[in-house]
Amino acid sequence: MADSDNVSGVEIQLDQVTKRYPGSREPAVRDVSMTIPAGKIVILVGPSGCGKTTTMRMINRLIEPTSGTITIGGEDALRLDPDTLRRKIGYAIQQAGLFPHFTVAQNIAVVPGLLGWNRSRIRERVDEMMDLVGLEPADYRDRYPRQLSGGQQQRVGVARALAADPPVLLMDEPFGAVDPITRGNLQDELLRLQTELRKTIVFVTHDFDEAVKLGDKIAVLGDQSAILQYDTPEAILANPADDTVAGFVGAGASLKQLTLLRVRDVEYPDIALTAVETRDSPGALRQRMTEQGRTYALLLDERGRPKRWVHVRDLSSATSLTSVGRPVGDVVSTQSTLQDALEAIIAEGGNAVVTGSRGEYVGMVDIRTVTDAVQQLREEHGDAPEPTGSAAS
Amino acid sequence: MNDTERVIMSLFDYVVDRWERLSLSAWLHVSEVVQATLLAAVVGVLIGVAVYRSPAGSAVATALASTILTIPSFALLGLLIPVFGLGATPSVIALVLYALLPITRNTIVGLSGVDPAVRDAARGIGMSRLSVLTRVELRLAWPAILAGMRVATQMLMGIAVIAAYAKGPGLGGEVFSGLTRAGSANATNQALAGTLGVVILALLLEAGYFVLARLTVSRGIRG
Amino acid sequence: MSAATDVRAFSTESGSRRAERVRLLAQPAAVVVLVGSVLTWAFARDNDEIEAQSINAATLLTKTWEHVVITFVVAAVVAGVAVPLGIVLTRPWARPAAPLFIAVANIGQAAPALGVLVLFFLWTEWEGLWAAALPIAFYSLLPVLRNTITGIRSVDPALVDAGRGIGMSAFGVLLRVELPLAVPMVLAGLRTSLVLAVGTATLAFFVNGGGLGELVDTGYKLNRVPVLVVGAVLAVGLALLVDWIGAVLEEYLGPRGLS
Repeated sequence: MADSDNVSGVEIQLDQVTKRYPGSREPAVRDVSMTIPAGKIVILVGPSGCGKTTTMRMINRLIEPTSGTITIGGEDALRLDPDTLRRKIGYAIQQAGLFPHFTVAQNIAVVPGLLGWNRSRIRERVDEMMDLVGLEPADYRDRYPRQLSGGQQQRVGVARALAADPPVLLMDEPFGAVDPITRGNLQDELLRLQTELRKTIVFVTHDFDEAVKLGDKIAVLGDQSAILQYDTPEAILANPADDTVAGFVGAGASLKQLTLLRVRDVEYPDIALTAVETRDSPGALRQRMTEQGRTYALLLDERGRPKRWVHVRDLSSATSLTSVGRPVGDVVSTQSTLQDALEAIIAEGGNAVVTGSRGEYVGMVDIRTVTDAVQQLREEHGDAPEPTGSAAS
Repeated sequence: MNDTERVIMSLFDYVVDRWERLSLSAWLHVSEVVQATLLAAVVGVLIGVAVYRSPAGSAVATALASTILTIPSFALLGLLIPVFGLGATPSVIALVLYALLPITRNTIVGLSGVDPAVRDAARGIGMSRLSVLTRVELRLAWPAILAGMRVATQMLMGIAVIAAYAKGPGLGGEVFSGLTRAGSANATNQALAGTLGVVILALLLEAGYFVLARLTVSRGIRG
Repeated sequence: MSAATDVRAFSTESGSRRAERVRLLAQPAAVVVLVGSVLTWAFARDNDEIEAQSINAATLLTKTWEHVVITFVVAAVVAGVAVPLGIVLTRPWARPAAPLFIAVANIGQAAPALGVLVLFFLWTEWEGLWAAALPIAFYSLLPVLRNTITGIRSVDPALVDAGRGIGMSAFGVLLRVELPLAVPMVLAGLRTSLVLAVGTATLAFFVNGGGLGELVDTGYKLNRVPVLVVGAVLAVGLALLVDWIGAVLEEYLGPRGLS
């Protein structure tokens, strides 16, 4: 892999891991085997009570497996001292689990402190981590958790988990208790962090949309943590392994797929007839339009940014291009998801203008572009189903 | 026979021997405590009802109540002797005063703990101020009031023993005679009979409160 | 703690923060006024020989000092026994034993204080400070024991989980998370125990343990009301002061960061 150079995560392997609680006949987790690749975000998703949290908690041995082996970066996790093991694994939970009697800085400093770092190194690291999660150290260092909003607490929780730079991060529904807008921001934040840090992240959630948004791979779990499907979000959306997975993916799988594709991944042909509003004359433009049989032309400003749509009949009476046409509404950038593009296409009445990184016009997308892209995904994953997690084990 | 058995036998003989006097003392002890609690409950609930709507009033009443609760009972009793003399009067006054405190405090806590939405709904469906209080608020506060009475009773059982110092009635007399006859054959038996008697009576009253709570607390709010 | 927890048992807490504020300010003032005026009266009046034997600075100081010593010996014994015991009883391996210890402590408190004191005296035939302090300590044990257990148990399990999850040892979690968060409850219990102790210490003279109760007894037996009143008022003042110290400790010793 070309981008594997700066991966700081390590691979985790679960082999035939089972958890059986005394007094219950059926194991809570039965014979789970999976490989979590280094530097990837793997989401464990499934209905409540399916054992996904138990599975995750066996990785840092908050729950001891009854049988099976777990290796982290090639080391047998079950042979290490549990406390030592956990200091090398970041852990973030719902509602952050911040210690209410510790300040933000003290919370973040816990693990470095346990590892015996000296004071100045800890202080530097705390500030660095606060910067990383977007909290101004000078403002927030000495606050107590109750003086923070839910989203800020969650950020501190992530900072605490990452403080000792562990190769592995376990996250148990970390964004479950915050409002949808904050959750969206925190998810974006996590993705941004991950492009920098490249940790191995195991993330438990029951929200499939969250799984699709964050996961490099998703493990859909059933009862007793049985792996129903273990694949990329694209593959699971395009081709659910069975009815249970399909039910869990829910309605609107095609729409969810659109969130995975970006405009830069599809064709956006440069098909619009364009003119620069300050440079071209109405007469010349009208002539070009008649020659090419166009009814609409796109007016750009001097830097090539789309400004207005103009109809050919408006040009006969116009003296300058700066005063005619109706403004361009929604535009999409090459970074936008196809879902955003679809929104713009509908709002704009059939097609939408695509802009490049500096806002300049680069092409157009229409409804066909979107449907073709979804079709193509279906064909890729549908005709030749990739081996799923359970098959791989 | 080992030592423990000897102690028990001797106590048993003592109790059988003095059964008449002991049972009378026990009866007086309980009746004194129960009467004081009931009197205090009436007064305490009235005070609670009078002040619970005013935050300042509640704060002063509860502060006062809990402050008086810190006063050593023996000191209060001492202060009452010059005023009321000896016998039942100072003991009953002391007992009522102490019982007032947990009951008043719990009445206020209970009444102000009633969900404002419930109060609002009661007014909204046309109940008068008084019927909101008697049919809704006091009924919802009742478990707290009852808990206050329970705490008060338990406390009074012990304080009534001390009240025997001022020649108050009850089992305290046994403890005091045990003390003054230290060294004599029956001293320990007397003190033990008095102390254990109070513990047993307290447990019986506790059971009584449990039954009372089962009978009077609405099943909708039983914990 | 919430009103719900303290309406169920003996406690001198008011159950409301506002009332606590009132007491924090008013209580010491009341003590100064009450004790000051009674002492002024007692020293200014014409005391006969018997009264003068008790109402003099040396005697009053001695009796007050004895009372204070008993109270703080009791507090030390209670804190030294009940807090560690409470901690042990919240460890998973000892949890089943907790109800047993709570029951014993419950009986200790349900028994009349005077009875416990007298029985201990009759059985051990001890006299003086320890003869008073040990039974009073047994009698005042429950609030601290109960609050230590409740305080530790009411720590959010997610915090313990988070602590273990980031690599704190079980002992580290106890020391740095569970205990600090239980401190407010433990302090509240200690305050209640202190008040029980200072009140029960007025009975210490029955077993020759001294204290301010002795003045009340002297005044009563010798029919000297001023002596009785001075003793009683000093005991009241001391109790209010000890309770106030407890309230101040609660206010300033609790961990910061909690509301």
